[in-house]
Amino acid sequence: MLWVDKYRPRTLDKVIVHEEIAGNIRKLVSEQDCPHLLFYGPPGSGKKTLIMALLKQMFGPGSEKVKLENKMWKINAGTRTIELELTMLSSTHHVELNPSDAGFQDRYIVQEIIKEMARNRPIDTKGKKGYKVLVLNEVDKLSREAQHSLRRTMEKYSASCRLILCCNSSSKVTEAVRSRCLNIRVNAPTEEQIIKVLEFIGKKENLQLPPGFTARIAAQSNRSLRRAILSLETCRVQQYPFTANQAVPPMDWEQYISEIASDIIMEQSPKRLFMVRGKLYELLVNCIPPEIILKKLLSELLKKLDSELKHEVCHWAAYYEHRMRLGQKAIFHIEAFVAKFMSIYKGFLIATFS
Amino acid sequence: MSSDIRKWFMKQHDKGNGTASKPAAKPAMAASEKPPAPVLDKSVQGAQENSGRRKTSKYFATTTATESSSKKTTKDEKVTEKSPAKRKAQKITEDFQDDVKPVPAKKFHKDEDDDFVPSNDRKKAAEVKPSKKLNSRSSGGISKNSVDKNDVDYDEDELDDKYVETPVKAGGRGRGGRGAGAAAGGRGRGGGRGGFMNFGERKDPPHKGEKEVPEGAPECLAGLTFVISGTLDSLEREEAEDLIKRHGGRVTGSISKKTSFLLADEDIGGRKSSKAKELGIPFLTEDGLFDMIRKSKPAKAPVQEEQKKKTLEKVEKSPIKSTPLKVEAKDQVGSVGRKDAAKIVKSSTSPDKPKIQSADRSSLTWTVKYRPKVPDDIIGNQSLVKQLHDWLVHWNEQFLHTGQKGKGKKQADSGSKKAVLLSGSPGIGKSTSAKLVSQMLGFQAIEVNASDNRGKADTKIVKGVGGNTSNSIKELVSNEALSCRKNWSKHPKSVLIMDEVDGMSAGDRGGVADLIASIKISKIPIICICNDRYSQKLKSLVNYCLLLNFRKPTKQQMAKRLKQIADAEGLQVNEIALEELANRVNGDMRMAINQLQYMSLSQSVINYDDIRQRLLSSSKDEDISPFTAVDKLFGFNGGKLHMEERVDLSMSDPDLIPLIIQENYINYRPSSIGKDDNGVKRMSLIARAAESIGDGDIVNVQIRRYRQWQLSQAGSFASCIIPAALMHGHRETLEPGERNYNRFGGWLGKNSTMGKNLRLLEDVHIHILASQEANMNRETLRVDYFTLLLKQLTDPLRVMPKEEAVQKVVELMDTYSLSQEDFDTIVEMSKFRGHPNPMEGIQPAVKAALTKAYKQGSSSRVVRAADLIALPGLKKAPKKRIAAMLEPVETGLAEENGDAVAEGEEEYSSDSEDTDDLGINADGGAKPQLDLLSNKPKGVQVELDLKSNGKSKSGAKKTPAGKSKGSESAEKGPRGSGGGKRKRAA
Repeated sequence: MLWVDKYRPRTLDKVIVHEEIAGNIRKLVSEQDCPHLLFYGPPGSGKKTLIMALLKQMFGPGSEKVKLENKMWKINAGTRTIELELTMLSSTHHVELNPSDAGFQDRYIVQEIIKEMARNRPIDTKGKKGYKVLVLNEVDKLSREAQHSLRRTMEKYSASCRLILCCNSSSKVTEAVRSRCLNIRVNAPTEEQIIKVLEFIGKKENLQLPPGFTARIAAQSNRSLRRAILSLETCRVQQYPFTANQAVPPMDWEQYISEIASDIIMEQSPKRLFMVRGKLYELLVNCIPPEIILKKLLSELLKKLDSELKHEVCHWAAYYEHRMRLGQKAIFHIEAFVAKFMSIYKGFLIATFS
Repeated sequence: MSSDIRKWFMKQHDKGNGTASKPAAKPAMAASEKPPAPVLDKSVQGAQENSGRRKTSKYFATTTATESSSKKTTKDEKVTEKSPAKRKAQKITEDFQDDVKPVPAKKFHKDEDDDFVPSNDRKKAAEVKPSKKLNSRSSGGISKNSVDKNDVDYDEDELDDKYVETPVKAGGRGRGGRGAGAAAGGRGRGGGRGGFMNFGERKDPPHKGEKEVPEGAPECLAGLTFVISGTLDSLEREEAEDLIKRHGGRVTGSISKKTSFLLADEDIGGRKSSKAKELGIPFLTEDGLFDMIRKSKPAKAPVQEEQKKKTLEKVEKSPIKSTPLKVEAKDQVGSVGRKDAAKIVKSSTSPDKPKIQSADRSSLTWTVKYRPKVPDDIIGNQSLVKQLHDWLVHWNEQFLHTGQKGKGKKQADSGSKKAVLLSGSPGIGKSTSAKLVSQMLGFQAIEVNASDNRGKADTKIVKGVGGNTSNSIKELVSNEALSCRKNWSKHPKSVLIMDEVDGMSAGDRGGVADLIASIKISKIPIICICNDRYSQKLKSLVNYCLLLNFRKPTKQQMAKRLKQIADAEGLQVNEIALEELANRVNGDMRMAINQLQYMSLSQSVINYDDIRQRLLSSSKDEDISPFTAVDKLFGFNGGKLHMEERVDLSMSDPDLIPLIIQENYINYRPSSIGKDDNGVKRMSLIARAAESIGDGDIVNVQIRRYRQWQLSQAGSFASCIIPAALMHGHRETLEPGERNYNRFGGWLGKNSTMGKNLRLLEDVHIHILASQEANMNRETLRVDYFTLLLKQLTDPLRVMPKEEAVQKVVELMDTYSLSQEDFDTIVEMSKFRGHPNPMEGIQPAVKAALTKAYKQGSSSRVVRAADLIALPGLKKAPKKRIAAMLEPVETGLAEENGDAVAEGEEEYSSDSEDTDDLGINADGGAKPQLDLLSNKPKGVQVELDLKSNGKSKSGAKKTPAGKSKGSESAEKGPRGSGGGKRKRAA
């Protein structure tokens, strides 16, 4: 088993990083009725871990016995029936699902499926809480319509059902939904915290950690604990015993993006743009989310850029990312960004050097 | 200043002339049959000399305009025609003096004189005049350019203009001489620069877009033939062609004696230039061409206006003029037969023709009117017509005689078929040839076409009389035999023409079969006609027919025929325009004639531009392929298209065209940027285009997701028209070895691959979730976990000893309940072009061992798929693919038999597999593949095959190997057969 999963804290007591949040949640659950919750924070900060631990705290070990269902739903939407396939993890006490999987039809999931589930009270309530829990992942990716339909559900069926929402950015969750939840921000762990965790794992695994090694991994992890642990294990697979200056290998796709970035910096021509398009397609086909590509590409470009251009390039990156979310075909917008960058950078080079 | 002088002269002239002509004109108005000669101001004299001089006011305006412009270029050198002109001019002045006499009666007389008793001049004109009236006129106009116009002999020259008109050749040659001079200069220049071009690759024009392209008089290049060679100075070749054609010139591909100029800016010493030198064809530079066109340019508007005004003042306008003309012409023509009349008119008074014709224009459409009357009239395909003719001639001998004499029904030789099938695109004369040929041979043609019911005939033909068509056909076909037997030669022979056989459709059930039956028993020849010979419906028919495939006539052939028609109808069209028309209709003669007739309704003179415009607007009714549309949008004159045309083009397939545009816009070198040393301009245009394409995507989301279809035009605007407008120009390749054509939009393919990969990823995700060891979302899985998972899965195989490694990997896979397929997904999705394959360096033997180990474990493995049982309310069983992955052992049988399979059998089947495995141990590569065959769902099987076999053996053997193995196991016993079958099916 990978260390990430192996050393994941299963209960709120064992949480190392967000101890304070864990304590608060524990109190909340044990002392009074739990409100709807909204966990938000950057990836790799421990939201999911907290949620799982919270569920265990609420329902005991029963919540860990989950089964995976792959259900086909037929939904009557006015004139036509829509078939939706949805995967959900469920135990006797909770259901976890990812409504944004349905793409732009997510509103039917919220309107029909979630409502349906929220409406039914749990049958077996003796000695347990009188409600069940719906865990919705990636709420920020829900469309506006879906979020609007969500808020009615949250009010109407709050007697029998609690919602736990989980997302990266609360700004993409409508205010109406946010105000109906207890918002819990899960910060990215600091580097010190990450180092602490890595050393904890190192001790458990009986690893010889050279001084400063964990610090370097932590620095490279972008404050994502998950990334840090995975990196540590990657290093372990690659070379053990560790040496002090061992390179921490980047993710495969990150490496590819930085290659693209240096391609772009090296030459700005239609030919190069065409080549870059091919590489971007390669990334997209390999299921790297376009937002991440754009973000990473920007940060790689910024590394190599003169400071006077940085502002402008950032502006355009944001501009095209926004458009990418409005649109559907991500490659068009990433390519537009690359073209824009090439145009700016080329103009800049010629203005300065010739 | 020169214009002032001109005014002054005009006045002079008017004074002299106006007094004379005004009184002459007024009576003309009074007596409506008065000849209009005096009406035309300065050309009075001319009009009298030659009725051909009489012009409509429109024409008149241009000529005067040309004059004035030519007057401006007074500094031109003297021209050879001067002396004859003077001579003529004198004669004219005599006439003129006669003219001036303000006696209406006399005037009239004179005019009649002119028409019926041609003067010397007129004869001369008629002699010199080539058949192309229009050309001659316009080039006459041009020739004035070169004519010297001194202030002193202005009058003379003006007269001269009128007279010189006809000797086109002279004019052309005069200019030709100059052109040659210019070309010599060009050659010199070219010598300095030449030779840098490689064969086959044409460089961009060095001064692209820097020169202003002149606008000239519409027909200023008429009668001239150009050949373009090499790179021009500022024009793309297509632009140059268009320019020449627009001004009435002709562009051909290779040099011949008829070529007037070789248009080249540098002497690259190719075949064209050497041949041109051989034939003594003058060279012409682009600048020379521009000059040529510019010279012909009408004068500036004000001058023209003024002139017009003056003309108006002193002249009675065209309505009055035209009536007498027509009357007169009719008088003239009256006695002679119509055809002859037309001919006479053609040779003498061409401008009058339209009016004459309009008078006796019949209600017939031209397509009917000018349908070929004899087979020889048919354009093109003469050999096929001949073949058809021969076939029909010999039909009776071949089939009836042999039949009669009882020599058996065997067809004499393979070449003789009882029916003939004419095929070809519409409008090229299939039906016409069939009818004509049968008519010529005295056959009575019975035509059955799609408008008749052609279904299967009733079996009892007796019913047929007066019944439906198919029955009467049957009857016809068989009855004829009776009459034939007596003495067929005396009876009118008949032939059945089945038109539009490929149109036999739902209503004509069994039509083709019945037709074949009819052919078999037929005693009369049957001609079938269809458009698409390869149509599925005709597959059976083809065997019974002699196939004659009509080809499209060439544009020259068509243009010739169109010219005949135009002449007969009194339409003024030049051949260039007709060739263009022929070109545009894509070989459809009928459509060409229809277009011509339609255009004749609104105008009597049709030139190249008219045809271009008309057919551009009418061509949108045709189907246009997305590629053609994109080509047009991005083409060098994509910027000149009307906005409506662009919208039409981009809307012809609003889904596909944006994708093709997006795929290809980088490849174009925009013609609008002109000189661009460092590519900055181009890069910024690309950026703008890319942004606009992004806009298009955003709009598209609004359209699709929120059904805002009213935005579709805005969408096509953003996604097609703006990028095309920014980028249109010359396409260039970006990758070595790429063909220089627009690629198909890559997005569709990539998107579907991405969709597939997402599904596979989702499978992995579900499996990992099902393992309950980890809980992450799909993205995290891909972005964060995959790198490590891949390392954990492949690295041990590479570095550790085989047994240990396999054990370790299988352990990990079991922990996360990853199937073999997931393993492949992870490997597959970590591949990046240009990076080493993650599976590199792993021995096939190790892989085989891994597969085997995984298989062995599978029997003891907890089947987590229990989680996936169908739930109430679930209509569909969980996807087979997922089920298959989670229950590797069960699936094969479950899928095949469709019912629950007893466990014993299942066990057995895995046993049989094992035996198989043992048997095949010899070849390491084939075994895993076999396993995969049995267990893998179909979709991924191919990939697996490739992988496992690419390493072991020649890839092609795979499937057969699997099959043979299957059959091997089948031979092992009755029980084994089940296993074998399963393998094959899986």
